[in-house]
Amino acid sequence: MSASTSGAGAPSLPRPVVRLLRDPLLWLIVLIVVIGAASSPYFLTPLNIANTIRNAAAIGLLSLGMTMVLLTGRIDLSVAATMVFSVIVGVVVTVELGALFGERWLVRGNSFAGPPGLVIAITLMTGLVVGIVNGIGVAYLKVASFIMTLVALTALRGLNYILTTGHPFYLKGATFNWIGDSVYLGIPTGFLIALAVLAAMLLFLRGSVAGRRFYAIGGNEYAALYAGIKTARYVVLAFAISGLCAAIAGVVLTSRLKSVDAPLASGYELTAIAIAVIAGVSLSGGVGSPLRALLASLAFAGALNLLGLWGVSTWYQNLAIGLVLLIAVGIAQARQRILEQKRSGGRITYAWLLDSWRRYWNDKRQSVDT
Amino acid sequence: MTASQESQADARLRKSGGASGLRRPNTEILSRLLILVLLVVIGQVISSSFLSLENFKIILLAVAGITIVAFGMTMVVISGEIDLSVAGVAVLSGISGALLLETESTALVVAVTLAVGLLLGLVNGVMVAWIGIPSLIATLAMLGIARALANIVSRGQAYYPDKLESFLWLGRGDLLGLPVPILLLAVAAGIALVLTRLTLFGRKLYATGGNATAARLSGIRTDRVKIAVFMICGFSAALAGMLESARLAYINPAAFPGMELSVLAVTVLGGAALAGGSGSITGTLLAALIIGVINSLLNQMGVSIYLQQVVTALIILAVVLPGLKQRLLAK
Repeated sequence: MSASTSGAGAPSLPRPVVRLLRDPLLWLIVLIVVIGAASSPYFLTPLNIANTIRNAAAIGLLSLGMTMVLLTGRIDLSVAATMVFSVIVGVVVTVELGALFGERWLVRGNSFAGPPGLVIAITLMTGLVVGIVNGIGVAYLKVASFIMTLVALTALRGLNYILTTGHPFYLKGATFNWIGDSVYLGIPTGFLIALAVLAAMLLFLRGSVAGRRFYAIGGNEYAALYAGIKTARYVVLAFAISGLCAAIAGVVLTSRLKSVDAPLASGYELTAIAIAVIAGVSLSGGVGSPLRALLASLAFAGALNLLGLWGVSTWYQNLAIGLVLLIAVGIAQARQRILEQKRSGGRITYAWLLDSWRRYWNDKRQSVDT
Repeated sequence: MTASQESQADARLRKSGGASGLRRPNTEILSRLLILVLLVVIGQVISSSFLSLENFKIILLAVAGITIVAFGMTMVVISGEIDLSVAGVAVLSGISGALLLETESTALVVAVTLAVGLLLGLVNGVMVAWIGIPSLIATLAMLGIARALANIVSRGQAYYPDKLESFLWLGRGDLLGLPVPILLLAVAAGIALVLTRLTLFGRKLYATGGNATAARLSGIRTDRVKIAVFMICGFSAALAGMLESARLAYINPAAFPGMELSVLAVTVLGGAALAGGSGSITGTLLAALIIGVINSLLNQMGVSIYLQQVVTALIILAVVLPGLKQRLLAK
């Protein structure tokens, strides 16, 4: 780490590296690692590192999908429910298909012993379909995104109980073990999958016209519309990507747990939003990067792991998640105002700060449908 | 649609149609009455004992808590914001009250419960109106924080207020031949109706939600209006939580899962548009009765609670869709 940081200011470094080194998120991760190493002898053991990164994989995938939706100025509250629903549908449909061909893939104690490949394929398809339905509801039927996805959240959580009849499914199979447990060069497979998704997203967002249009829609939807972009299609695409990411996250998480049940991962939508906001994704759209979302999920998982090592109970951890979300949004609001002031050439003084707060109170935009 | 787009569309509708935010609910209320009557008829066909005073009491008791919160939520939605924290507020205020059960003073328990509800509402309002955090995020975070705090102060344990007779009376007792929760529901409905329709505050509330800039330019302190409605919503959540825990003689930090969804369902079904400026207490009350009757019907037909959840979700969707179609046509 020290070798790369010493060259931070050198002009010879490629720009992406410089940008990364200037990123406060990276330094947050460094800070967490330093504090962790200093306060707990277990923090830097390979096992704990692998565990932390594994935790980051599922929530990271969720927040990657969330980032895509937030970029278009919408929100997806259904990610956690979609994640669990996709896997449950994957298992149930595969078992039914097996029964059709006279195979019994659901053996004693609700253990699934069928082909994992089929389960994963159906899981991904389900996530994609849920995302597309959400997207059509938002883009074409014009339902406010958070109502649409709140409805999806309720309906899917209910369906989860109906499909599982309240019992967990246990997943057996070499593929699940491989996704859930194997580690390459110290990095668990689950996180490698998240990295692959990130690479695909970056290629799409940075390297294609369609990707640039995503930012255009979030920046100013009317302008994008009048520039001839069929905005509705991109909104559906964003929700489809979010649904697919949720399904992938579901595969990663359940492969690790080797089981899935209806109430799994409740409240993860809050975590995914918190991570996206910490990563600097704007809730009103147009600003944000998936790379930073994945970095933020690492920071998040690292911080939670550290709290766990310190013996802090999950209750306090949940408290911390909520507080961190509020503080992050509060800072983001303040930062945006300071940037606007700088751009208009004004000076940042204490008097200006006070005045800007006052003006802000008087001039706050309504923001119900983010 | 972004917020600005929606509010623009709304403003245009209000200008062109002459359908003011206060007048529009009339047709909406009639249509909801029709749905309610239809559902009751279906209920009577399915089961001959449906139209009885006893069944009506059961239905009202089942939705009393949700409806009281929905009154608060309706006001928040009219002001153009949203409150997802109601379940957390209900739990934390209930647990805070329960911590004082040893004092064996019902007045103290009730006062602390309601005060905590008000306080949490105040925090929500300040975060939204002064710090400028979008209400969706602020109250979502509050939901997590309040539930975590409830777990922390109770150490995850449940409380049984079964020794406080007068506290239990709030949920189980009768007054003038009517169950107390139903009476409280009636009182809450009366207060909410007067507050929204007959007072200056009500006018300010609709003005704030309809067009915040115009409201501000006409001298309304919109930030204070918003803080007030969040406090009302917090108070009603605490009250509803108290009624439930008195009825069950039981409160635990995991109580009321998904309460915000059922409350929002009632509010949206009642005709409150999430863009703000429209909605009515009468509509919300009718919506609560509709939901209550549907749940009662589904129960009598033996439909599982989880399928009921799915049905509720689909009902919200069905109600939200035509409303938006109207809005698009008016454009």
